[in-house]
Amino acid sequence: METQVGITAAAVKLPARKLTAASLFQEEQAPFNSNVATFLGIEKVPICDGESASTMALVACQEALQRAELDVAQLDVIVDYSILPQEYLVPAWNMSNKLQHDLGAKKAFTVGFSGGGATNFLVALSSAVALLGTNEQLTNALLVAADITIPGNRILNPADPVSVLGDSAGAVVLKKGAAGSVVIDTELHSDGSYHDVCYIPGGALANPDDPDLYRMALDKKRFDKAPKIETLNAMLGTLLDRTGVKRGDVVFALYPNLSREDQQQFADAMGFGSHQINGDNRESHGHLQGTDFVANYLSMIESGAVGKGQYFLAASHGMGFLAGVSLLRL
Amino acid sequence: MNARIGIVGANYYLPPKRKAVADIFRDEQVPAEPLAANVDFQRDIGIEAVHMANEETATSLALNASRGVLEKTGTDPAEIDLIIDFTSIPEDYIAPTWSAAGIVQKEIGARNAFATAVNTGGCASYHTALKVACSLMAANDRYRTALLFAGDKVPEFNHTYYPITVICDGGSAVILKKGNERQQILAVEVATLGKLHDVWYIPGFHRRNPVDTDRKWLHMTADIPKFNHEVIPVNLFMFRKIMRQALSSAGRKQQEVSYYIYPTFSTWDQKAFCQAFMIEPEKVFTDGLKRHGHLQETDMVLDYVDAIAEGHVKDGDLVMLTTNGAGFSWGAALIQH
Repeated sequence: METQVGITAAAVKLPARKLTAASLFQEEQAPFNSNVATFLGIEKVPICDGESASTMALVACQEALQRAELDVAQLDVIVDYSILPQEYLVPAWNMSNKLQHDLGAKKAFTVGFSGGGATNFLVALSSAVALLGTNEQLTNALLVAADITIPGNRILNPADPVSVLGDSAGAVVLKKGAAGSVVIDTELHSDGSYHDVCYIPGGALANPDDPDLYRMALDKKRFDKAPKIETLNAMLGTLLDRTGVKRGDVVFALYPNLSREDQQQFADAMGFGSHQINGDNRESHGHLQGTDFVANYLSMIESGAVGKGQYFLAASHGMGFLAGVSLLRL
Repeated sequence: MNARIGIVGANYYLPPKRKAVADIFRDEQVPAEPLAANVDFQRDIGIEAVHMANEETATSLALNASRGVLEKTGTDPAEIDLIIDFTSIPEDYIAPTWSAAGIVQKEIGARNAFATAVNTGGCASYHTALKVACSLMAANDRYRTALLFAGDKVPEFNHTYYPITVICDGGSAVILKKGNERQQILAVEVATLGKLHDVWYIPGFHRRNPVDTDRKWLHMTADIPKFNHEVIPVNLFMFRKIMRQALSSAGRKQQEVSYYIYPTFSTWDQKAFCQAFMIEPEKVFTDGLKRHGHLQETDMVLDYVDAIAEGHVKDGDLVMLTTNGAGFSWGAALIQH
C-alpha cells in the first residue's frame, strides 16, 4: 500500500465503579483461590452503574476526536468493533449509526464487524486502513467499541476461569498521511472449526428462549487445544517476512488482557520481556475485549516504552477462532 | 478503487416451502387500512408468495448458497482468502459475538481464509461488504479471492415488515476475484444517516417481556411515524446522491446505465423509483417481487442473478445495483459487464 495510515489519537472511557475479582467470584459463585488469582492476574474490573454502551462510546469518541484535532464534520468512516451484545439486536441495529447521529458526523458512513473476540479490533483496523488507502475521498476513520458484560457473566468459564470481563468503551482515530503510529501491515487468519469456542448460545434463532443460554460460554477443552500462540508466532513470522522487519526490531507488543498466564505464554513464545508488554491494565481493568488494545496503546505511549520510528505490534488469538497480528511503527 | 475486481459468479438458495402472502396477512394481523389515497398495502403489494425456511437454519441457507456459488464458478475453497458474512438480521447465535462466517469457512473447507462479518447497513449491507472486500483486496496483494454470503431466516410470524414489504427466507453468495476481466466492480458507495438508526430495530433478548410467548423481542420492529416523517422525505434524495457518487467515482453518466437492480419491496416502491429517476420500467428488474417478495440484502444478489439468467443484462452493459437499508442507509454499485 502506498499511502500510509496511522493512529493520531485514542481514548478509553471506563465506568467509575470498580469491583474486585474476589467479590465478583463470590457474586457469581465461582471458586476463587490463590492459584486462580495468580493465573488470572486480575485484581479488579470497571463495571457500569447505569451507563449505556453508546453513552460511554460517545465520550470516548469525543475525547479521541478532540485529541486528534479532527472536526467531526470532516469524519469519513465510523467502524464499530464491539463484540458483546448491543442496545438492540445486531446486525439489524448497530451502535455506529447512533454514534454518527450523536457525534454529528453527517459526512461519515458506518461499518461494523462481528466475531473473533478481541481480534475484531484488528479486523476493524485492517479494514479501515484499506478503506482509507484505496478510496481517494476518504482521509480519516474513527474506530469505536463499547462492551458491557451480560449481568452475572463476568467470570469467563467459572468452573475453570479464563478471564474476568470489565465494561468499557474505546475509540481510535486513523488518518491518512499520519506521521506516527503508522499501520504497516496486518495478518489475519481464522480457523472455522473454532467458530463456537466462545459465543453466546442463546437469545438468537438457535436457542431463542432459554435465559440460561444467554451468556458468554467457553468450550475450555477446545480453547486449550487450539494452537493459539503457535498460530500467532507463525503469523508474525509471515508478517515480518513480508514487511522486511526483523523480529528483534519489534520492541513492544499490545496484547489483550485476558489473563496473566495467557499474556505470559504469548510473551515467552515471542521472546518479549516483561517490560515489552503491558500487564498493569490487566490487573486494574480485566479483559475489555478489543478495547484492551486501546487501553494498552495509551499506556504504551504514556510510558515512553517505544521510541519514535520503532516498531511495535498488536496481536490477538481471538480465542482460537480468529487470530490477527498488526505491525505498527511509532 | 482500481484493482480490477470482478464478480466471478453469484448464486442464491431459496428453501422449497412457500407460503401465500394472503395466508401471511391472515396469520400476522396486518393493518387493513390504506397507506395512502391510492395504495392498499395488502391489495397492492404485488407479492404472491414467499419462501419459508421452517426447519432449515439461517446458516444452512447461507451454506447452500455458498456451496452453489463454489460449484457454479469452479472455485476451489482453498483459493478463498477472505470470507465476509453480510447477513443483516439475527443469525443462529448472537452478534456481534458470533457470525456465520466461521461455520461457513469450516463447512466449505476454506482453510486459507480469514472470516468476518459486516454487521451494519440493513439491506445495503451487501454494498458495505462489497466496499470493504474491494478495499481489502485492492490494498493487499494476498487477498485475491473473496466469498461474500448471507443467510436470512425471519422468526415465525414476522414475515410482514409493515408498511414496506413481505419477507422471504433464503441465502445468497458471491465470489469476487482480483484481475477478473468480466463483471468488474467500477464503484461502490455507501451512505448512512445516523439519526434514522432506530427506525427499524429488533429489541433483543435483554429487552424481552417475560410474559411474551410470541418472541416479539426477536421481531423486526418499526417506528412507523418516524419512518413516515423522516425516512420517506429523504429516501429518493439519498438514492440520487448515492447513485451520482457511484457514477462520479466510475467516471460514468446515468445515461450509460443499461440496467438497474433494485429491491423487491412493493409495486408502489418500484414505480416511485422509476418515476423519480425517469427510468423505463423495462430497465429495472421487477419480476422477482411477485415470485418471492423481499429478501433483505440478498435482493441485490438474487435479482442480479435472475436478471442475467433471463437475458436482461448483456455483455458490455453497465449495471447499477442500488438499495436502501433499514431506513438509515443507501448503497450503489456499478458493475461493468
